[in-house]
Amino acid sequence: MKVCCLSACLVAAACAVAHAGSGDTQKLLDFYANQAKATDSAFGGFSAERGESLFRSNSTGGKPDTPSCTVCHTNPMAVSANPQRYTDQEKAEKWFGRNCRNVLGRECTAREKGDFITFMLTQ
Amino acid sequence: LIAVWDLGVRLFHWLLVAAVGIAAVTGLFGPLNRLSLHVAAGATIGGLLVFRIVWGFAGTTYARFSSFAFPPSAIAAYVKELQAGRHAVYLGHNPLGSVMVFALLAILALNVTTGVIVLGGVDKQGPLAFAVSYETGTTLRAIHQILAYVLLVMIVGHLTGVVHESFRSKAKPVLAMITGEKPDTSVAITANPARAWPAFAGLALLVLLTGAAYEAIALSSRPALGVPTGSLDSTYVKECGSCHMAYPPSLGTSSRWIALMAGLADHFGEDASLEPKLMSSIRAYLINNSAEKWDTRPSHALAESNPGDPLRLTATPFWSRTHRAIPAAVFRSKAVGAKGACNACHGDAFTGRFDPQKIEIPARALQ
Repeated sequence: MKVCCLSACLVAAACAVAHAGSGDTQKLLDFYANQAKATDSAFGGFSAERGESLFRSNSTGGKPDTPSCTVCHTNPMAVSANPQRYTDQEKAEKWFGRNCRNVLGRECTAREKGDFITFMLTQ
Repeated sequence: LIAVWDLGVRLFHWLLVAAVGIAAVTGLFGPLNRLSLHVAAGATIGGLLVFRIVWGFAGTTYARFSSFAFPPSAIAAYVKELQAGRHAVYLGHNPLGSVMVFALLAILALNVTTGVIVLGGVDKQGPLAFAVSYETGTTLRAIHQILAYVLLVMIVGHLTGVVHESFRSKAKPVLAMITGEKPDTSVAITANPARAWPAFAGLALLVLLTGAAYEAIALSSRPALGVPTGSLDSTYVKECGSCHMAYPPSLGTSSRWIALMAGLADHFGEDASLEPKLMSSIRAYLINNSAEKWDTRPSHALAESNPGDPLRLTATPFWSRTHRAIPAAVFRSKAVGAKGACNACHGDAFTGRFDPQKIEIPARALQ
Protein backbone atom coordinates (compact mmCIF):
# COMPACT_ATOMS: atom_id res chain seq x y z
CA MET A 1 0.00 0.00 0.00
CA LYS A 2 2.64 2.44 1.10
CA VAL A 3 4.98 1.52 -1.76
CA CYS A 4 2.34 2.38 -4.29
CA CYS A 5 1.44 5.72 -2.78
CA LEU A 6 5.07 6.71 -2.48
CA SER A 7 6.01 5.64 -6.00
CA ALA A 8 2.99 7.42 -7.45
CA CYS A 9 4.24 10.54 -5.69
CA LEU A 10 7.74 10.05 -7.09
CA VAL A 11 6.43 9.55 -10.59
CA ALA A 12 4.24 12.63 -10.35
CA ALA A 13 7.48 14.49 -9.66
CA ALA A 14 9.42 12.72 -12.42
CA CYS A 15 6.90 12.74 -15.27
CA ALA A 16 7.05 16.49 -15.71
CA VAL A 17 5.42 17.86 -18.81
CA ALA A 18 7.57 20.60 -20.27
CA HIS A 19 4.88 23.07 -21.32
CA ALA A 20 2.71 22.86 -18.22
CA GLY A 21 2.66 25.73 -15.77
CA SER A 22 0.62 27.55 -13.16
CA GLY A 23 -1.89 28.51 -15.82
CA ASP A 24 -2.89 24.86 -16.08
CA THR A 25 -3.34 24.64 -12.31
CA GLN A 26 -5.70 27.62 -12.47
CA LYS A 27 -7.60 25.94 -15.32
CA LEU A 28 -8.00 22.85 -13.20
CA LEU A 29 -9.24 24.95 -10.28
CA ASP A 30 -11.72 26.70 -12.60
CA PHE A 31 -12.91 23.29 -13.79
CA TYR A 32 -13.65 22.23 -10.21
CA ALA A 33 -15.15 25.63 -9.34
CA ASN A 34 -17.63 25.33 -12.22
CA GLN A 35 -18.58 21.83 -11.08
CA ALA A 36 -18.98 23.05 -7.50
CA LYS A 37 -21.21 25.97 -8.57
CA ALA A 38 -23.37 23.64 -10.63
CA THR A 39 -24.24 21.52 -7.58
CA ASP A 40 -24.17 24.22 -4.89
CA SER A 41 -25.48 27.69 -5.71
CA ALA A 42 -24.05 28.94 -2.39
CA PHE A 43 -20.50 27.96 -3.40
CA GLY A 44 -18.22 30.84 -2.36
CA GLY A 45 -14.75 29.73 -3.46
CA PHE A 46 -12.14 27.24 -2.29
CA SER A 47 -10.46 27.25 1.10
CA ALA A 48 -6.90 26.18 1.93
CA GLU A 49 -7.96 25.56 5.57
CA ARG A 50 -10.67 23.11 4.51
CA GLY A 51 -8.14 21.51 2.15
CA GLU A 52 -5.64 21.06 4.97
CA SER A 53 -8.23 19.51 7.26
CA LEU A 54 -9.23 17.13 4.43
CA PHE A 55 -5.56 16.21 3.99
CA ARG A 56 -4.90 15.64 7.70
CA SER A 57 -8.19 14.30 9.07
CA ASN A 58 -8.95 10.66 9.73
CA SER A 59 -11.83 8.83 8.13
CA THR A 60 -13.40 5.48 8.84
CA GLY A 61 -15.16 5.18 5.52
CA GLY A 62 -12.24 3.91 3.42
CA LYS A 63 -9.82 1.04 3.65
CA PRO A 64 -8.73 0.31 7.21
CA ASP A 65 -5.02 0.70 6.43
CA THR A 66 -5.45 4.16 4.86
CA PRO A 67 -7.56 6.22 7.28
CA SER A 68 -5.84 9.43 6.17
CA CYS A 69 -3.84 10.92 3.26
CA THR A 70 -0.98 11.34 5.74
CA VAL A 71 -0.58 7.56 6.16
CA CYS A 72 1.28 7.56 2.83
CA HIS A 73 1.89 11.25 2.14
CA THR A 74 3.78 12.29 5.26
CA ASN A 75 4.27 15.76 3.75
CA PRO A 76 1.77 17.72 1.68
CA MET A 77 2.25 17.29 -2.09
CA ALA A 78 3.17 20.96 -2.43
CA VAL A 79 3.10 22.76 -5.75
CA SER A 80 6.26 24.63 -4.70
CA ALA A 81 8.11 21.30 -4.58
CA ASN A 82 6.91 20.36 -8.05
CA PRO A 83 5.09 22.95 -10.19
CA GLN A 84 3.87 20.17 -12.53
CA ARG A 85 1.43 18.99 -9.88
CA TYR A 86 -2.30 19.57 -10.49
CA THR A 87 -1.75 20.66 -14.07
CA ASP A 88 -3.24 17.62 -15.82
CA GLN A 89 -6.97 17.17 -15.41
CA GLU A 90 -7.01 13.49 -16.39
CA LYS A 91 -4.24 12.66 -14.00
CA ALA A 92 -5.83 14.65 -11.18
CA GLU A 93 -9.17 12.92 -11.75
CA LYS A 94 -7.49 9.51 -11.82
CA TRP A 95 -5.70 10.00 -8.52
CA PHE A 96 -8.52 11.85 -6.73
CA GLY A 97 -10.73 8.96 -7.79
CA ARG A 98 -8.42 6.24 -6.50
CA ASN A 99 -7.28 7.95 -3.33
CA CYS A 100 -10.65 9.37 -2.24
CA ARG A 101 -12.14 5.90 -2.53
CA ASN A 102 -9.16 4.45 -0.61
CA VAL A 103 -9.24 6.98 2.24
CA LEU A 104 -12.86 8.18 2.43
CA GLY A 105 -14.63 5.26 0.81
CA ARG A 106 -16.39 7.62 -1.61
CA GLU A 107 -15.72 10.05 -4.44
CA CYS A 108 -14.54 13.51 -3.41
CA THR A 109 -16.76 16.45 -4.29
CA ALA A 110 -15.55 19.13 -6.68
CA ARG A 111 -15.28 21.51 -3.73
CA GLU A 112 -13.10 19.09 -1.79
CA LYS A 113 -10.80 18.65 -4.79
CA GLY A 114 -10.51 22.40 -5.24
CA ASP A 115 -9.91 22.92 -1.51
CA PHE A 116 -7.20 20.26 -1.60
CA ILE A 117 -5.37 21.90 -4.53
CA THR A 118 -5.75 25.33 -2.97
CA PHE A 119 -4.10 24.01 0.21
CA MET A 120 -1.27 22.47 -1.81
CA LEU A 121 -0.72 25.81 -3.57
CA THR A 122 -0.02 27.43 -0.19
CA GLN A 123 2.60 24.89 0.80
CA LEU B 1 60.88 -46.08 -21.56
CA ILE B 2 58.86 -45.93 -24.73
CA ALA B 3 56.77 -43.04 -26.06
CA VAL B 4 53.08 -44.05 -26.10
CA TRP B 5 50.81 -41.02 -25.64
CA ASP B 6 51.81 -38.16 -27.91
CA LEU B 7 51.49 -34.53 -26.94
CA GLY B 8 48.13 -34.22 -28.73
CA VAL B 9 46.60 -37.06 -26.71
CA ARG B 10 47.95 -35.74 -23.42
CA LEU B 11 46.87 -32.16 -24.02
CA PHE B 12 43.46 -33.39 -25.14
CA HIS B 13 43.09 -35.54 -22.04
CA TRP B 14 43.93 -32.91 -19.45
CA LEU B 15 42.11 -30.06 -21.18
CA LEU B 16 39.08 -32.35 -21.36
CA VAL B 17 39.39 -33.09 -17.64
CA ALA B 18 39.39 -29.34 -16.92
CA ALA B 19 36.51 -28.54 -19.30
CA VAL B 20 34.33 -31.44 -18.10
CA GLY B 21 35.09 -30.48 -14.50
CA ILE B 22 33.95 -26.89 -15.09
CA ALA B 23 30.89 -28.02 -17.05
CA ALA B 24 29.94 -30.50 -14.31
CA VAL B 25 30.36 -28.07 -11.41
CA THR B 26 28.56 -25.18 -13.13
CA GLY B 27 25.85 -27.51 -14.41
CA LEU B 28 25.19 -29.28 -11.12
CA PHE B 29 25.73 -26.48 -8.63
CA GLY B 30 25.32 -23.28 -10.63
CA PRO B 31 25.04 -20.47 -9.84
CA LEU B 32 22.55 -19.94 -12.62
CA ASN B 33 24.06 -16.62 -13.65
CA ARG B 34 27.29 -18.42 -14.56
CA LEU B 35 25.53 -20.11 -17.47
CA SER B 36 28.05 -18.55 -19.85
CA LEU B 37 30.87 -20.42 -18.12
CA HIS B 38 28.95 -23.69 -18.50
CA VAL B 39 28.37 -22.91 -22.18
CA ALA B 40 32.05 -21.99 -22.72
CA ALA B 41 33.10 -25.28 -21.09
CA GLY B 42 30.68 -27.14 -23.38
CA ALA B 43 31.99 -25.35 -26.46
CA THR B 44 35.55 -26.22 -25.39
CA ILE B 45 34.54 -29.87 -25.03
CA GLY B 46 33.05 -29.72 -28.53
CA GLY B 47 36.26 -28.28 -29.97
CA LEU B 48 38.37 -30.86 -28.14
CA LEU B 49 36.19 -33.67 -29.53
CA VAL B 50 36.70 -32.39 -33.08
CA PHE B 51 40.43 -32.34 -32.45
CA ARG B 52 40.38 -35.86 -30.99
CA ILE B 53 38.48 -37.26 -33.98
CA VAL B 54 40.97 -35.70 -36.41
CA TRP B 55 43.86 -36.89 -34.26
CA GLY B 56 42.35 -40.38 -34.21
CA PHE B 57 43.16 -40.57 -37.90
CA ALA B 58 46.25 -38.34 -38.08
CA GLY B 59 48.04 -38.83 -34.74
CA THR B 60 50.88 -41.15 -33.73
CA THR B 61 50.50 -44.90 -33.24
CA TYR B 62 48.49 -45.06 -30.03
CA ALA B 63 46.47 -41.93 -30.75
CA ARG B 64 44.91 -43.58 -33.79
CA PHE B 65 41.50 -45.22 -33.50
CA SER B 66 42.89 -48.11 -35.58
CA SER B 67 45.26 -48.99 -32.70
CA PHE B 68 42.39 -49.53 -30.26
CA ALA B 69 39.40 -50.45 -32.37
CA PHE B 70 39.03 -54.04 -31.16
CA PRO B 71 36.39 -56.43 -32.49
CA PRO B 72 33.76 -57.52 -29.92
CA SER B 73 35.33 -60.98 -29.75
CA ALA B 74 38.65 -59.47 -28.59
CA ILE B 75 36.84 -57.41 -25.97
CA ALA B 76 34.98 -60.48 -24.67
CA ALA B 77 38.19 -62.48 -24.58
CA TYR B 78 39.95 -59.73 -22.63
CA VAL B 79 37.13 -59.62 -20.06
CA LYS B 80 37.44 -63.41 -19.63
CA GLU B 81 41.18 -63.05 -19.08
CA LEU B 82 40.54 -60.37 -16.49
CA GLN B 83 38.09 -62.61 -14.63
CA ALA B 84 40.66 -65.42 -14.68
CA GLY B 85 43.09 -63.06 -13.03
CA ARG B 86 45.66 -62.97 -15.82
CA HIS B 87 45.52 -60.73 -18.82
CA ALA B 88 47.72 -59.48 -21.60
CA VAL B 89 49.41 -56.10 -21.22
CA TYR B 90 48.68 -53.58 -23.94
CA LEU B 91 51.04 -50.68 -24.50
CA GLY B 92 48.14 -48.49 -25.68
CA HIS B 93 44.48 -48.83 -24.67
CA ASN B 94 43.46 -52.36 -23.72
CA PRO B 95 40.24 -53.71 -25.27
CA LEU B 96 38.09 -52.84 -22.25
CA GLY B 97 39.67 -49.41 -21.92
CA SER B 98 39.00 -48.76 -25.59
CA VAL B 99 35.29 -49.36 -25.04
CA MET B 100 35.38 -46.72 -22.33
CA VAL B 101 37.24 -44.27 -24.60
CA PHE B 102 34.70 -44.59 -27.42
CA ALA B 103 31.79 -44.48 -25.00
CA LEU B 104 33.15 -41.33 -23.33
CA LEU B 105 33.69 -39.63 -26.69
CA ALA B 106 30.16 -40.55 -27.77
CA ILE B 107 28.43 -39.38 -24.60
CA LEU B 108 30.41 -36.15 -24.58
CA ALA B 109 29.40 -35.49 -28.19
CA LEU B 110 25.78 -36.21 -27.27
CA ASN B 111 25.87 -33.87 -24.32
CA VAL B 112 27.43 -31.04 -26.30
CA THR B 113 24.69 -31.50 -28.90
CA THR B 114 21.82 -31.68 -26.42
CA GLY B 115 23.33 -28.71 -24.55
CA VAL B 116 23.20 -26.53 -27.68
CA ILE B 117 19.56 -27.54 -28.23
CA VAL B 118 18.62 -26.78 -24.60
CA LEU B 119 20.38 -23.42 -24.77
CA GLY B 120 18.44 -22.61 -27.93
CA GLY B 121 15.02 -23.84 -26.82
CA VAL B 122 14.94 -22.93 -23.13
CA ASP B 123 17.25 -19.91 -22.93
CA LYS B 124 16.72 -18.71 -26.49
CA GLN B 125 20.46 -18.24 -26.81
CA GLY B 126 23.15 -19.61 -29.10
CA PRO B 127 23.09 -20.99 -32.64
CA LEU B 128 19.76 -22.83 -32.30
CA ALA B 129 17.79 -20.02 -30.57
CA PHE B 130 16.07 -19.29 -33.88
CA ALA B 131 14.86 -22.83 -34.40
CA VAL B 132 14.15 -24.75 -31.19
CA SER B 133 10.88 -24.45 -29.27
CA TYR B 134 10.73 -24.21 -25.50
CA GLU B 135 8.96 -27.56 -25.37
CA THR B 136 11.72 -29.33 -27.31
CA GLY B 137 14.28 -27.52 -25.17
CA THR B 138 12.81 -28.78 -21.90
CA THR B 139 12.56 -32.35 -23.21
CA LEU B 140 16.20 -32.24 -24.27
CA ARG B 141 17.12 -30.69 -20.93
CA ALA B 142 15.94 -33.83 -19.17
CA ILE B 143 18.07 -35.96 -21.51
CA HIS B 144 21.03 -33.60 -21.06
CA GLN B 145 20.76 -34.05 -17.28
CA ILE B 146 20.45 -37.84 -17.46
CA LEU B 147 23.46 -38.02 -19.80
CA ALA B 148 25.44 -35.87 -17.37
CA TYR B 149 24.79 -38.34 -14.55
CA VAL B 150 25.64 -41.28 -16.84
CA LEU B 151 28.87 -39.46 -17.70
CA LEU B 152 29.70 -39.07 -14.01
CA VAL B 153 29.19 -42.80 -13.49
CA MET B 154 31.43 -43.50 -16.49
CA ILE B 155 34.12 -41.20 -15.11
CA VAL B 156 34.02 -43.19 -11.87
CA GLY B 157 34.37 -46.37 -13.98
CA HIS B 158 37.28 -44.87 -15.89
CA LEU B 159 39.04 -43.89 -12.65
CA THR B 160 38.40 -47.38 -11.24
CA GLY B 161 40.09 -48.86 -14.29
CA VAL B 162 43.06 -46.53 -13.87
CA VAL B 163 43.40 -47.38 -10.17
CA HIS B 164 43.07 -51.08 -11.01
CA GLU B 165 45.81 -50.85 -13.62
CA SER B 166 48.05 -48.90 -11.25
CA PHE B 167 47.93 -51.66 -8.62
CA ARG B 168 47.71 -54.78 -10.80
CA SER B 169 50.52 -53.90 -13.18
CA LYS B 170 53.79 -52.06 -12.95
CA ALA B 171 52.48 -49.38 -15.29
CA LYS B 172 51.82 -45.96 -13.88
CA PRO B 173 48.93 -44.82 -16.09
CA VAL B 174 48.56 -41.34 -14.56
CA LEU B 175 52.29 -40.60 -14.93
CA ALA B 176 52.17 -42.01 -18.46
CA MET B 177 49.37 -39.56 -19.34
CA ILE B 178 51.65 -36.74 -18.12
CA THR B 179 55.03 -37.75 -19.58
CA GLY B 180 53.63 -39.82 -22.43
CA GLU B 181 56.07 -42.65 -21.68
CA LYS B 182 55.63 -46.17 -20.35
CA PRO B 183 58.24 -48.76 -19.28
CA ASP B 184 59.44 -50.72 -22.34
CA THR B 185 58.40 -54.30 -21.57
CA SER B 186 58.83 -56.90 -24.26
CA VAL B 187 55.65 -58.68 -23.14
CA ALA B 188 53.42 -55.72 -23.96
CA ILE B 189 51.22 -55.95 -27.03
CA THR B 190 52.10 -53.16 -29.45
CA ALA B 191 50.33 -51.72 -32.48
CA ASN B 192 51.57 -51.07 -35.99
CA PRO B 193 53.71 -47.95 -35.76
CA ALA B 194 52.27 -44.87 -37.44
CA ARG B 195 53.69 -41.39 -37.89
CA ALA B 196 51.64 -38.29 -37.14
CA TRP B 197 50.44 -36.01 -39.94
CA PRO B 198 50.49 -32.71 -38.07
CA ALA B 199 50.14 -30.55 -41.18
CA PHE B 200 47.05 -32.45 -42.32
CA ALA B 201 45.59 -32.43 -38.81
CA GLY B 202 46.26 -28.71 -38.43
CA LEU B 203 44.63 -27.86 -41.74
CA ALA B 204 41.63 -30.08 -41.05
CA LEU B 205 41.18 -28.51 -37.61
CA LEU B 206 41.50 -25.00 -38.99
CA VAL B 207 38.81 -25.65 -41.58
CA LEU B 208 36.46 -27.49 -39.20
CA LEU B 209 36.79 -25.17 -36.19
CA THR B 210 36.70 -21.85 -38.08
CA GLY B 211 33.78 -23.18 -40.14
CA ALA B 212 31.91 -24.22 -37.00
CA ALA B 213 32.65 -20.93 -35.24
CA TYR B 214 31.59 -18.90 -38.28
CA GLU B 215 28.38 -20.89 -38.62
CA ALA B 216 27.64 -20.67 -34.89
CA ILE B 217 28.06 -16.89 -34.91
CA ALA B 218 25.94 -16.50 -38.06
CA LEU B 219 23.13 -18.67 -36.65
CA SER B 220 23.29 -16.98 -33.25
CA SER B 221 22.62 -13.61 -34.84
CA ARG B 222 19.27 -14.77 -36.23
CA PRO B 223 16.18 -13.54 -34.34
CA ALA B 224 15.33 -15.94 -31.52
CA LEU B 225 12.14 -17.98 -31.88
CA GLY B 226 9.17 -16.42 -30.07
CA VAL B 227 11.08 -13.76 -28.15
CA PRO B 228 9.48 -10.30 -27.92
CA THR B 229 11.42 -7.52 -29.57
CA GLY B 230 10.92 -3.79 -29.34
CA SER B 231 9.96 -1.76 -26.31
CA LEU B 232 6.85 -1.80 -24.16
CA ASP B 233 3.83 0.32 -25.09
CA SER B 234 4.39 3.83 -23.71
CA THR B 235 0.84 4.31 -22.40
CA TYR B 236 1.06 0.96 -20.60
CA VAL B 237 4.39 1.95 -19.06
CA LYS B 238 3.05 5.37 -18.04
CA GLU B 239 -0.13 4.06 -16.40
CA CYS B 240 0.99 0.77 -14.88
CA GLY B 241 4.68 1.52 -14.47
CA SER B 242 3.95 4.56 -12.30
CA CYS B 243 3.21 2.33 -9.30
CA HIS B 244 5.14 -0.87 -10.01
CA MET B 245 7.41 -2.39 -12.60
CA ALA B 246 5.69 -2.49 -16.00
CA TYR B 247 5.58 -6.26 -16.42
CA PRO B 248 6.17 -7.32 -20.02
CA PRO B 249 2.83 -8.64 -21.34
CA SER B 250 4.62 -11.89 -22.32
CA LEU B 251 4.81 -12.80 -18.61
CA GLY B 252 1.06 -13.25 -18.31
CA THR B 253 -1.44 -15.48 -20.07
CA SER B 254 -4.40 -13.71 -21.66
CA SER B 255 -6.79 -15.15 -19.07
CA ARG B 256 -4.62 -13.70 -16.30
CA TRP B 257 -4.54 -10.27 -17.98
CA ILE B 258 -8.30 -10.32 -18.56
CA ALA B 259 -8.99 -11.15 -14.90
CA LEU B 260 -6.46 -8.58 -13.73
CA MET B 261 -7.90 -5.77 -15.82
CA ALA B 262 -11.43 -6.66 -14.70
CA GLY B 263 -10.45 -6.08 -11.08
CA LEU B 264 -8.51 -2.84 -11.14
CA ALA B 265 -10.73 -1.31 -8.42
CA ASP B 266 -9.15 -3.83 -6.05
CA HIS B 267 -5.75 -4.40 -7.62
CA PHE B 268 -3.92 -6.46 -4.99
CA GLY B 269 -5.51 -4.27 -2.34
CA GLU B 270 -5.08 -0.97 -4.20
CA ASP B 271 -7.60 1.03 -6.15
CA ALA B 272 -5.94 1.19 -9.58
CA SER B 273 -9.05 2.14 -11.54
CA LEU B 274 -8.53 3.56 -14.99
CA GLU B 275 -10.81 5.60 -17.17
CA PRO B 276 -12.75 2.96 -19.22
CA LYS B 277 -11.33 3.84 -22.66
CA LEU B 278 -7.78 3.79 -21.32
CA MET B 279 -8.46 0.54 -19.50
CA SER B 280 -9.68 -1.24 -22.61
CA SER B 281 -6.80 -0.01 -24.77
CA ILE B 282 -4.25 -1.25 -22.21
CA ARG B 283 -6.22 -4.46 -21.86
CA ALA B 284 -6.11 -4.99 -25.63
CA TYR B 285 -2.34 -4.38 -25.68
CA LEU B 286 -1.79 -6.94 -22.91
CA ILE B 287 -3.98 -9.58 -24.56
CA ASN B 288 -2.38 -9.04 -27.98
CA ASN B 289 1.07 -9.61 -26.49
CA SER B 290 0.26 -12.20 -23.82
CA ALA B 291 2.27 -15.29 -22.99
CA GLU B 292 0.51 -17.49 -25.58
CA LYS B 293 2.04 -15.36 -28.34
CA TRP B 294 5.63 -16.06 -27.25
CA ASP B 295 8.00 -18.94 -26.58
CA THR B 296 10.23 -17.62 -23.80
CA ARG B 297 10.87 -19.52 -20.58
CA PRO B 298 8.87 -17.02 -18.43
CA SER B 299 5.94 -17.10 -20.87
CA HIS B 300 5.66 -20.87 -20.34
CA ALA B 301 6.90 -21.31 -16.80
CA LEU B 302 4.74 -18.58 -15.22
CA ALA B 303 1.56 -19.78 -16.94
CA GLU B 304 0.74 -22.18 -14.12
CA SER B 305 -1.04 -20.19 -11.40
CA ASN B 306 -1.20 -20.62 -7.69
CA PRO B 307 -4.90 -21.41 -7.07
CA GLY B 308 -4.74 -19.52 -3.77
CA ASP B 309 -3.50 -16.32 -5.43
CA PRO B 310 -4.08 -16.87 -9.16
CA LEU B 311 -3.21 -13.42 -10.51
CA ARG B 312 0.06 -12.81 -8.71
CA LEU B 313 3.16 -13.77 -10.75
CA THR B 314 5.26 -14.00 -7.59
CA ALA B 315 2.85 -16.59 -6.17
CA THR B 316 3.21 -19.01 -9.10
CA PRO B 317 4.84 -22.38 -8.39
CA PHE B 318 7.67 -21.60 -10.84
CA TRP B 319 8.43 -18.26 -9.20
CA SER B 320 8.40 -19.76 -5.71
CA ARG B 321 10.64 -22.64 -6.76
CA THR B 322 13.21 -20.51 -8.53
CA HIS B 323 13.38 -17.87 -5.77
CA ARG B 324 13.22 -20.10 -2.70
CA ALA B 325 16.93 -19.73 -1.89
CA ILE B 326 16.69 -15.94 -1.72
CA PRO B 327 16.29 -14.62 1.83
CA ALA B 328 13.11 -12.65 2.51
CA ALA B 329 15.31 -9.75 3.68
CA VAL B 330 16.55 -9.28 0.10
CA PHE B 331 13.01 -8.56 -1.10
CA ARG B 332 12.36 -6.22 1.82
CA SER B 333 15.62 -4.33 1.32
CA LYS B 334 15.62 -0.80 0.01
CA ALA B 335 17.51 -1.85 -3.13
CA VAL B 336 14.77 -4.33 -4.13
CA GLY B 337 11.61 -3.23 -2.27
CA ALA B 338 9.23 -6.04 -3.16
CA LYS B 339 9.04 -9.49 -4.69
CA GLY B 340 7.40 -7.97 -7.73
CA ALA B 341 10.36 -5.70 -8.50
CA CYS B 342 11.81 -8.16 -11.04
CA ASN B 343 14.07 -5.52 -12.54
CA ALA B 344 15.93 -5.03 -9.27
CA CYS B 345 17.85 -8.26 -9.94
CA HIS B 346 16.95 -9.23 -13.53
CA GLY B 347 18.80 -6.72 -15.70
CA ASP B 348 16.69 -7.60 -18.74
CA ALA B 349 13.32 -7.87 -16.99
CA PHE B 350 11.66 -5.33 -19.29
CA THR B 351 12.46 -7.43 -22.36
CA GLY B 352 10.67 -10.46 -20.93
CA ARG B 353 13.72 -12.65 -21.63
CA PHE B 354 15.05 -13.09 -18.09
CA ASP B 355 18.44 -14.46 -19.17
CA PRO B 356 20.23 -16.30 -16.37
CA GLN B 357 23.36 -14.25 -17.07
CA LYS B 358 21.47 -11.02 -16.37
CA ILE B 359 20.67 -11.98 -12.77
CA GLU B 360 22.50 -9.97 -10.15
CA ILE B 361 21.20 -9.39 -6.65
CA PRO B 362 22.23 -5.84 -5.70
CA ALA B 363 25.08 -5.95 -3.18
CA ARG B 364 23.21 -3.49 -0.94
CA ALA B 365 20.27 -5.89 -0.74
CA LEU B 366 22.50 -8.61 0.70
CA GLN B 367 24.01 -6.54 3.51
